[in-house]
Amino acid sequence: MNDPPSRRRPRDTGEGQPRARRIRAGAERRALVPLAVATVALLAVVFYYPVATVFVEAVVVEGAITLAVFAEILRDPFYFGEFARLLAGEDPIAVLRDLLGADRRLGIVGFTAYQAALSTVASVMLGVPAAYLLARYEFRGRRTLRSLTILPFVLPSIMVAVGFVATFGREGTLNTALAAIGLGPVELMFTLEAIIIAHAFYNAPLVARVTTAAWESVDASAIETARSLGASPFRAFRDVVAPQLYPAVLMGGALTFVFTFATFPIVLALGGFQLATVEVFVYRLVQDLNYAEAAALAIIELVISLGVLLGYLRYEARHAVRSRGARPLPRRPLFRLPAISVREVLPRVGLGIYGIIAAFVFLSPIVSMILASVIAADGSFTLEHYRFLVDRQRTGAAFQVQPWTAVRNSLVFAAGSLLIALPMGVVVAVLTTRRYRGRKLVDAIAMAPLAVSGIIVGLGLLRGLVFGVEIAGWRIVIAGSVAIVAAHAVSGYPFVVRTVAPGLEGLDRSLIESARALGASRARVLLDIELPLVWPGVVAGAAFAFAISIGEFSSTVVLATGTDAYTMPVAIERFIGRRLGPATAMGVVLLIVTSISFVVIDRLGGESFGL
Amino acid sequence: MEESRRRSRRRFLAAAGAAGAVALAGCTAEQVDEEADDRTDGGSDDGGSDDGEEGGSDEEASTLTVATYSSFIDAPSSSPGPWLAETFEEEYGIEIEWATPENGVNHYIERRNAGADIDADLFVGLNVDDLVRIDDGADDPLFEAGALADVDGLDDVQDGLWFDPRDRVVPYATNYISLVYDGTATTAPETFEGLLDADHGGALITQNPSGSTTGRAFLLHTVHRFGADDQEGSGSDVDHEDYLDYWAALQENDVRVQGSWDDAYAAWSGGEAPMVVSYSTDQVFAAAEGADLEEHQVRFLDDQAYANPEGAAVFADADEPDLAREFLSFLLSPRVQGEIAELNVQFPATTTADLAAEYDELAKEPPDPVTFTYEELQGSVDGWIDAWERQFAEN
Repeated sequence: MNDPPSRRRPRDTGEGQPRARRIRAGAERRALVPLAVATVALLAVVFYYPVATVFVEAVVVEGAITLAVFAEILRDPFYFGEFARLLAGEDPIAVLRDLLGADRRLGIVGFTAYQAALSTVASVMLGVPAAYLLARYEFRGRRTLRSLTILPFVLPSIMVAVGFVATFGREGTLNTALAAIGLGPVELMFTLEAIIIAHAFYNAPLVARVTTAAWESVDASAIETARSLGASPFRAFRDVVAPQLYPAVLMGGALTFVFTFATFPIVLALGGFQLATVEVFVYRLVQDLNYAEAAALAIIELVISLGVLLGYLRYEARHAVRSRGARPLPRRPLFRLPAISVREVLPRVGLGIYGIIAAFVFLSPIVSMILASVIAADGSFTLEHYRFLVDRQRTGAAFQVQPWTAVRNSLVFAAGSLLIALPMGVVVAVLTTRRYRGRKLVDAIAMAPLAVSGIIVGLGLLRGLVFGVEIAGWRIVIAGSVAIVAAHAVSGYPFVVRTVAPGLEGLDRSLIESARALGASRARVLLDIELPLVWPGVVAGAAFAFAISIGEFSSTVVLATGTDAYTMPVAIERFIGRRLGPATAMGVVLLIVTSISFVVIDRLGGESFGL
Repeated sequence: MEESRRRSRRRFLAAAGAAGAVALAGCTAEQVDEEADDRTDGGSDDGGSDDGEEGGSDEEASTLTVATYSSFIDAPSSSPGPWLAETFEEEYGIEIEWATPENGVNHYIERRNAGADIDADLFVGLNVDDLVRIDDGADDPLFEAGALADVDGLDDVQDGLWFDPRDRVVPYATNYISLVYDGTATTAPETFEGLLDADHGGALITQNPSGSTTGRAFLLHTVHRFGADDQEGSGSDVDHEDYLDYWAALQENDVRVQGSWDDAYAAWSGGEAPMVVSYSTDQVFAAAEGADLEEHQVRFLDDQAYANPEGAAVFADADEPDLAREFLSFLLSPRVQGEIAELNVQFPATTTADLAAEYDELAKEPPDPVTFTYEELQGSVDGWIDAWERQFAEN
């Protein structure tokens, strides 16, 4: 198994190969095909078909095919603001003039895109410095910190809302701190700023994690070459390092846009209904059983999100950086300065300022949540909320949610979906980095699980899987744990694709071609050469797939109907009451369990691999 | 207590065993019933080849499947579910299985429209706007009309609480939606007009009417008070043309509209605003937690509060319709009425409930409860909410 490819005989002398080796080679050669077929089948069953059962309602109304529903939404100023006038055939110049005016109406869709764009900028601004710190400096706890960066990803929105009120609210930590230095107070709650900061809380870690992975894959020898040719450190960064980071930063940005474009509970919790986004109306329309309009709105949402993803993918394809193996850049010690010079001190001062901002944005909401779990109604310290969890475990009725079952299910589902999402993601990454026409479109469609409204997916799973399909007099029902794992894997695999594909695209083709010429199968080249070279991306993808499963809520509750297949976020939702204690205590359990898991994933897949 | 736990543990294991097979397979196939009255060969095994999912049984009736909202059976404070299941089993020898689908009664509307079996016998926790939505949205009747004839205790239900013109739903409890305020931070105004005072700018948190019962009740209360295009307002001396006009002024005064009751109550508890739209039973919880009641004051604007009765109904093709009706009689009995009220922190629906005297002191009832009837809501409520959304979220 461990033969280096160079010791293999060329394929065309297969005649003389021992039988066992020939079979193995055959199996390897064909391994990618069944994997690809399984991936497509899984996507069809737990994603495309269920979603189609809902989307079809947008175009088939009372048995007839129509585009009237779309036309109505597109021409409605409530949704499209001034753009709706454009679609209604008004003079584009007049519309443009009004758009630039103070009283412009963006409409719900326009506003949603606007806040998503601002959230994306904020997430990139807060994410890139973190990547710089994690990729370029050495300090105690660096690896643990890197493992924990995506922790915000798994927190249920109600927990984030609680943390944000405690941090940025009228009587929150920020205002207390500002008052201490004679400033403030600032009113952040119920503003657009609050939403943007919350979106950055969720998404800057995403930008940071993918950028860190890209930075760690930068080959040191390329920089050394540039420097030896006389390039200044700045020039070497601009010409060698930065081009390898742009795709990662832009990818983080594109994904952030897509996520924040479909944002839902957090907007109403921190901003209020006057800042309602498209997804709020998709929810309301589904709630009122107005499926045609809900589906049409969700399709419009999807088209915009996929457009952004497609734009990014085209950029990624054009700007693939050819690299040949990787010897990562050496890290500088964060606290022991090699010399007192502007070049050494300035970046560290910058990181210090960044650290203070990051403490407020990322740490404080989490700390507030932990505090809420140990504070009683009268403000004193208590462990009663944790006692509640223990009691619920010991004496709760069988039909009530029990903490340990939730922890166990979460871990099992996350591990299961990780094991499925990794090969799925790698296969799709391989297929979409081959050269053929329209492959970026295929790639964008493969990303659809990120971009389809969660509310629509939930409804589709209910109709398509839980209620079952009648085939030849039998009703086939898919639900329970296996279905949950499959649904989680489908939600998580796009992350694996996105973290693995850019690296694969950038690999020097001659490496692969020589290995193939030496007789290695496609699968063998992938396992022995390509994946090791893009390993930081694989690990980052694995961590995301795990995180997505842990944090997933809407598909889980739909598919768990009638079974005890609930997870930690479901338990948190159940434990919310007048007092936040029990829910926040469960939230802390979720934090601890996921923190340990992330550290384990990174240690298992991490730098021991020689990177 | 201990014994019942063991029993439920056993039941759980049995159910888990059956469910385990399903979960592992993840996929089940069940022969679809041909038309029920098709005379096929002798024994009909309709749904009998059980997939274990809801534990339906083909031996003698011993379980009743009750669908409800999740906090009815599983809330961190207290919920009536466990007590009801235990008591019903003691008295009737019937086990209760709970079903709490995430999207509530919409789950069953979906099932009905998709032609999938309704796997529950009755639904507990319907209110009048659910009923309006069901009747608009379900292709076939979800609940059986006039099915309450055999239910005992119907005469004890307070007259004002009946909300189903077709006698499918029996009210078992009611809530009043009012303002709750922190008396140490503000004194809530006594009228709707008072909420517009500059003193109360940014001081009120309410909820999204399409995502929360309390938010919807508050919006409907303003429609009731100020009127709408198709609805005469009840307020005589008001300055506002209709509810939208009032809301424009309220928005001008920085009213906060959050997504859910959870968000709103959490923000209110965190000191973000001194007033929140919530339930008039707030002090019952506050007292149980040992909180300062001064911080949990209830205000009935214009001496009114919006009443939101909750009811239960038997599904049209329930496996156990008779048992389900027995459960409804059980819900209306004096002892059960008292327990539901206390455990779910609501008001009983009957005049004969056994309720502790101190409960009355803490749970406040408005002098003048208001509510819309089924007929008034039907055909109008969607339009009211839609118009409000379009005004409030204009971007």
